[in-house]
Amino acid sequence: MALIAVVDDEFLLADLLAGLLVGEGHEVMTAPHGRAALQIIRDRKPALVITDFMMPLMTGLELAQALRADSELEDIPVILVSGAQGTSARESHPELFAAIFDKPYDRKALLKTVADLLDGP
Amino acid sequence: MVEQLPRLPSGVEGLDEVLGGGFIEGASYIVQGRPGAGKTILSNQIAFAQASAGRRVLYVTLLAETHDRLFQSLSTLAFFDKAMLGDVIRYVSVFQSLRDDGLDAVVKLIREETQRQEATLLVFDGLLNARDRADTDLDIKTFIAGIQSQAAFVGCTVLFLASSGSAQDSRPEHTMVDGVLDLSDEVVGVRSYRQLLVRKSRGSGSLGGQHEFEITDQGVTLYPRLEAKYARPSRDEVPSRKRLGTGIAGLDQAIGGGLPAGSVTILVGPPGSGKTSFGLNFLNLASKKDNALHFGFYETPARLTLKAEALGLDFSKKRIGRDLHILWNPLTENNLDKLAYQLLAAVHEHKVKRLLIDGVAGFERAAVHKTRLIEFFSALTNELRALNVTTILTWESQDHTVNENSDPFPEISSILDNLITIREVHRQGRVQRLLSILKIRDSAFQQRSYEFFFTKNGSAAIDATYASSPVSSS
Repeated sequence: MALIAVVDDEFLLADLLAGLLVGEGHEVMTAPHGRAALQIIRDRKPALVITDFMMPLMTGLELAQALRADSELEDIPVILVSGAQGTSARESHPELFAAIFDKPYDRKALLKTVADLLDGP
Repeated sequence: MVEQLPRLPSGVEGLDEVLGGGFIEGASYIVQGRPGAGKTILSNQIAFAQASAGRRVLYVTLLAETHDRLFQSLSTLAFFDKAMLGDVIRYVSVFQSLRDDGLDAVVKLIREETQRQEATLLVFDGLLNARDRADTDLDIKTFIAGIQSQAAFVGCTVLFLASSGSAQDSRPEHTMVDGVLDLSDEVVGVRSYRQLLVRKSRGSGSLGGQHEFEITDQGVTLYPRLEAKYARPSRDEVPSRKRLGTGIAGLDQAIGGGLPAGSVTILVGPPGSGKTSFGLNFLNLASKKDNALHFGFYETPARLTLKAEALGLDFSKKRIGRDLHILWNPLTENNLDKLAYQLLAAVHEHKVKRLLIDGVAGFERAAVHKTRLIEFFSALTNELRALNVTTILTWESQDHTVNENSDPFPEISSILDNLITIREVHRQGRVQRLLSILKIRDSAFQQRSYEFFFTKNGSAAIDATYASSPVSSS
């Protein structure tokens, strides 16, 4: 099982998703915005990052860009889970994200994607 | 010279007028009301209006409700545009920062994010939660001061949304902000009304008192209390000696050549006495230059047309919408001020010079507070005079035998120029209509009665010989 970072300023959503992943046997750390996330990702190098888009201080897009620009972190896959930016992210930055889900998302589909990404090719 | 502060237009119809020109740029406001009062819709409408004008907005929440749910409910409103989310309007939650790090951390985060977003409007939704977190009144004041000082520095206007149990809530933090807006509901009888009150407005004149508003799929529409907005008419009245024909044969001669242009006539009579018919004759004299409007509550446009044609008047399709206009509001749940704005808008749009309001009761029924009516009608009729509209207002009397020389409506008579009554008398086994001229502005006329009748072809007339013969009111 793996360490996963869940990044969402909306506490309830972060909490729900964390619970879901813990239920699957993963270890989860959460952060309320991109900047806090970047700090804990540097510290603990999770296997996967699941992030919201619209957040204070650093958006999900900026977080993904920061990870890609960091040679130590560039290989960590990032899943974007967004209420409004799913479509534009798919069009503008498909290379940044391993998968993109629109909120509200299908839990089973998200868990399957998580499992696939963690198993690796 | 009095300095005018730069304004941020709200994008909410009626609100800028109530605020004396819009929100003041860089100022901060508390918008308070109980849950469901409309705070969220109002503030989002303002946010999207700003975004549409090319400005940037930061919307900060401290609530448990997720942004998805918010977007879902907003998506039913016309102003909502998903494409603006995340870029020109950014919604962020600071719930976790508040919980984990306290009010100071939230202030720091909002300051930084306001600059990052280059926001000119900051909405902070959840002042109540911040208040709960504060140990003392001083803490919450410090919190507000921390946010607004930086916002003012970068020219960002702030709206703090606060749930309140009672709209009468006056809180210590109200001293901190430049304005306080109360949204509330009032239940009168079985109807409920939404209303907005500007409780405080620093650096700006505002229209005091409660103003009704509606929430539709267009968002919030505010109707400033008519007598507050038109405390004085929008322009000076230009008195003229011109007269407008009534369309009633014989009447114009009896009143000095017709109704004075820009005057207000009240036409009183019991049901079925011919008030509407009188008015239709008056409207029928509309021309391309002087359009006419029927603003009524009873007959549908189709029935009205039938009625006019039965009187031999030309209300054919080629006239309706050209020089004759019909605006019908069924006598159901109406909003007093909205009716007046509809009326004035139609007068402006069609350059109306002849107006029939059929009748006063339609406004009376719509009034939540009947004590307003005199001031309301004063404002409305003053504005109509200033627009040089010649108006007939019908007034249904219950009494079929109004005493001909008494003034039945002492209060309303102060706002009218002309008073004409129609009553019914029983004479030699026949019911006859008596038309009495009680008052005509600036005119030499005989205060007397005439028989009011319809000729064989349906058109209305008065007979001057009638008054000399004895009358027996039944």
